[in-house]
Amino acid sequence: MALTKDTVLWMYRTMWTIRLFEERMAEIYLEGKTPAFDIGSGPVPGEMHLSAGQEPVAVGVCAHLRKDDAVIGTHRAHHFAIAKGVDLKKMAAEIFGKVTGLGRGKGGHMHLFDVENKFSCSGIIGASLPPACGAALAYKKLGKDSVAVAFFGEGAANQGSFHESLNLAAIWRLPAVFICEDNAWAISVPKSKSTAVADNSVRAAGYGIPGVRIPENDVLAVYEAAGEAVARARRGEGPSLIEVETYRFFGHFQGDPEVYRPKDEVKKLREKDPIPRFAQQVLGRGLATAEELDAEKEAAARAVEEAIAFARESPYPDPQEALLHVFV
Amino acid sequence: MSVVGIIANPASGKDIRRLVAYGSVFDNLEKAHIVRRVLVGLAATGIRQVLLMPEWFGIGSRALEGLHLPLEVTYLEMEPSFTHEDSTNAARLMRALGARCLVTLGGDGTNRAVAKASADVPLLPISTGTNNVFPSMVEGTVAGLAAGVVARGGLDLNGCLYRARRLEIEEDGRLVDIALVDVAVCDELFVGARAIWDPAKVREVFLASVRPGILGLSALGSALAGINPGSDGEGLWIRTGDGPFQVLAPILPGVLAWVQVEAFLPMRLGDALPVHHQEGILALDGEREIPIRPGVQYTVRLSDSGPWVVDVQKVLARASQEGYFLARGRG
Repeated sequence: MALTKDTVLWMYRTMWTIRLFEERMAEIYLEGKTPAFDIGSGPVPGEMHLSAGQEPVAVGVCAHLRKDDAVIGTHRAHHFAIAKGVDLKKMAAEIFGKVTGLGRGKGGHMHLFDVENKFSCSGIIGASLPPACGAALAYKKLGKDSVAVAFFGEGAANQGSFHESLNLAAIWRLPAVFICEDNAWAISVPKSKSTAVADNSVRAAGYGIPGVRIPENDVLAVYEAAGEAVARARRGEGPSLIEVETYRFFGHFQGDPEVYRPKDEVKKLREKDPIPRFAQQVLGRGLATAEELDAEKEAAARAVEEAIAFARESPYPDPQEALLHVFV
Repeated sequence: MSVVGIIANPASGKDIRRLVAYGSVFDNLEKAHIVRRVLVGLAATGIRQVLLMPEWFGIGSRALEGLHLPLEVTYLEMEPSFTHEDSTNAARLMRALGARCLVTLGGDGTNRAVAKASADVPLLPISTGTNNVFPSMVEGTVAGLAAGVVARGGLDLNGCLYRARRLEIEEDGRLVDIALVDVAVCDELFVGARAIWDPAKVREVFLASVRPGILGLSALGSALAGINPGSDGEGLWIRTGDGPFQVLAPILPGVLAWVQVEAFLPMRLGDALPVHHQEGILALDGEREIPIRPGVQYTVRLSDSGPWVVDVQKVLARASQEGYFLARGRG
């Protein structure tokens, strides 16, 4: 599939939207939580898992998706939501617990749910795969060429739900794409201590489906592989598994002391920051000018600030809200 | 002391060709099994020191688990970058440390990286990649025996090793890279997922040699054999596009394609042909590597200064004739 200039600019803007949103959230999250860290205080209470550094996975995959395709993300899901086209203001408001949020402020950052864009996520590890199979089965039964994408981490690939879902998707030839984000750390557990195989992509062989590993957190390589996997699913040829080596710039959660991580790891990862690398490739091939790229970054920054302002200014839900839209 | 180096690439056999073709996954645990078998073979020939390239999976460590052999097996002291450069750096270090044979596990790309620094140290390439022309499918124990015989020395190996060719890529007359099998000019913007799989995007191909029975772009040359005036052992330049011929070639595992050929020309050793296409990317041994820059003249030269390669069957035949694997009396 040809990579158009529009797609390249969209990819650049979206990666910056994710990065800037996450960096702003890292700042805002600390408001009201210092000097003694109190997870329940401040404008964004609760845990916070940020995805800066992992932009290529979300952007490279979602570049191929339509509004009617389903995406199920992880506990660290802001990048997927943004790349899938979830409204940034509603997402920010949800994270702030405001009534204007995607779930009217009831879900918070780990439970973003957007019917319009067919996006959801969950705090349960490995919980993205079975719903993706469900969505894919529905598409197949309805005779649609839509696809369902499950994102999950490399640690989740050791959960039963991973294996059960791959098996089910394979035997029913479901239009599903399974994307494993290998950021090397399952909370604090390195992959080598938790996973019997080096590449989860090889586990695809156990279910008779294609498995590919994309190294070096390269958005263009992800784009190519995901394009083939999505096209394959749309053609009715069944599921695929792609594992992407990606980088987690922040801790597992905000406030994570990261004592398990080599001291210079993040510094080294940031030296390989995928966004400037992408910009360099785009400029090198003359696909866009530096001014055009700067304009995209500025647009991303504006969108992020507008979303955060919207979230801050939005009202909290009334107490009665707790009784609405729930089974009682 | 006779030293053997083992360079096992943990990344081979896992790229996008499993999606765009019918490439098999090559698991790293299987590579560890192969290394284990190589070590057993090496030990049997009297090799006592083996050097391993460090990599992220620990293929060598896994190979050594529960293995009790009279071998000193050590990882090279190097800072891995977990890219192709590791294979080049490992080959350089192994050569400096006296390795007399390098066993490689990978595909054409892995061997290309090793060949950049192996100089006169012979390679014994075991195929664990996807579209392999340079390495062959050889059983690990047997490969270990052959590598051991080569490294120990003391045997006349004349005719048992051969010097491979290489294609030298020059930018404005300056050598910038090499390929062992082929150089392709393809209509792609980016390096991306590296592999090339769409023959419609291939504009020119330079082949180090033409021989039948192989997969990949080299198969284009094989299919032209009936009309190629070049003699055996010559390379070939092919330009695709509107022209008088179509060739059917197995490009990828399970993928055959008819490719229109506009022109072709045999390449003799020493020939340096210009790259005609002025845009796109140069793919070396099947992997996109060098984005073509405007205003730069790219040239591909066929050279006989490629790596030395062990012919496993010939080495073992010679060793058997010399009684290497023969003992009199009862065991």
